Amino acid sequence: MKLHLLCLGMLAALLPVVDSAAPASSTVKRAAGGHPDLSGVWQFAIDLPPVALKKEVNGKVAVNTLDQSARQPAKIQIAGALPSTPAPEYKPEFQEKVKYLAEHESKTDEVFYCGKPGVPRIGPPRKIVQLPNEIIFFYEDISGDPYRIIPTDGRPHRKNPNPSYYGDSVAHWEGDTLVVDVTGFVDTSWFGEDGYFHTDAMHVIERLWRSGDNLVYQVTVEDPKVLARPWTEPPRIIKPSNDPLEESPKCVETDAGKLTNNDHHGQR
Amino acid sequence: MRHKLFGLRIGVLALSAAAFLWAHHSPSAEFDMTKKITLTGTLTSVDWINPHIKVAMEVKGESGKVENWGFESNPPAWFRRVGVSRADLAKAIGQTVKVEGVRSKDGSFYGYLQKIVLPDGTSLELVSPNAAQESGR
Repeated sequence: MKLHLLCLGMLAALLPVVDSAAPASSTVKRAAGGHPDLSGVWQFAIDLPPVALKKEVNGKVAVNTLDQSARQPAKIQIAGALPSTPAPEYKPEFQEKVKYLAEHESKTDEVFYCGKPGVPRIGPPRKIVQLPNEIIFFYEDISGDPYRIIPTDGRPHRKNPNPSYYGDSVAHWEGDTLVVDVTGFVDTSWFGEDGYFHTDAMHVIERLWRSGDNLVYQVTVEDPKVLARPWTEPPRIIKPSNDPLEESPKCVETDAGKLTNNDHHGQR
Repeated sequence: MRHKLFGLRIGVLALSAAAFLWAHHSPSAEFDMTKKITLTGTLTSVDWINPHIKVAMEVKGESGKVENWGFESNPPAWFRRVGVSRADLAKAIGQTVKVEGVRSKDGSFYGYLQKIVLPDGTSLELVSPNAAQESGR
């Protein structure tokens, strides 16, 4: 019995802190229809250089740093999150291809050349407008500023949508979680860095819910043609932001011709 | 002794910043990270574009001939989030600025901007993300 209690104690010590900021469902801010209100401006989540800016004016020094937590896996256990793994598992016959693509990213990745990252690589939305029958996601990205208008009225996916980077999306509520179902992708984008290619069979499920003032974003990627099993990414905590959306400047890639090797790069 | 240590710390910070150039491409694949350059000249343009902002300047070479230098730096979204807009740099167009950075390996008049000192003495510098803590802030 003592051993049993000791084991339980050790297990508890190993678990990270649960997201205690998660409120009881009754205290979540709700929209007119009774569902949680996900509307708002959320923290910028694409990759930016991990450097700070030191500004010196008349001898007065200030150092401005970036908070990139919205791009990173949550460092604490999140209530309601699905079990996740750090990386997808490809079928054995595709693992070399993934490695090759990752090692030649500056040659093989459309995003390197200002291409669209698509869903889910673009990450969580920067702004959400929640309406009674649809929810609208807005993004800021180096490739441009896409938006997604996602029906929540129970309609099915469109029939034969043209393939696209952001796919065909429909959403529904499962309790207090918005579940966005996305299909109809091009087969040229990657669903993540490190050469995570996919086929036109990719199916993405995004889950979004509130945790106190924050948003939680978690993605599952299915592609039975190339993945050994569906991949659920670690959840991310997205903080609210006071930084309004701004049109992204045009993207003109000029470095490729100057590179002396195929070194890895990272954007999102 | 205290000053020497401080100088060493600044040197380490500068190296860290060099290593932390944006990962859009590996910095060492394009720039010689071991050779810092410092140039003083006339700022001629500031392009606020992705994936890197670009500035151009005219620098009088050793022979007296004017060299047209170009620099790229972090993306516009980064500058925006550390509180710098295009106007903060563009106000110095036509005036003398000092730029520090690393030079392109292909030997062209091109580099990665790590620091710029504007005519009014304002200095903007890419530094290690730990600099805020290390400077006691």
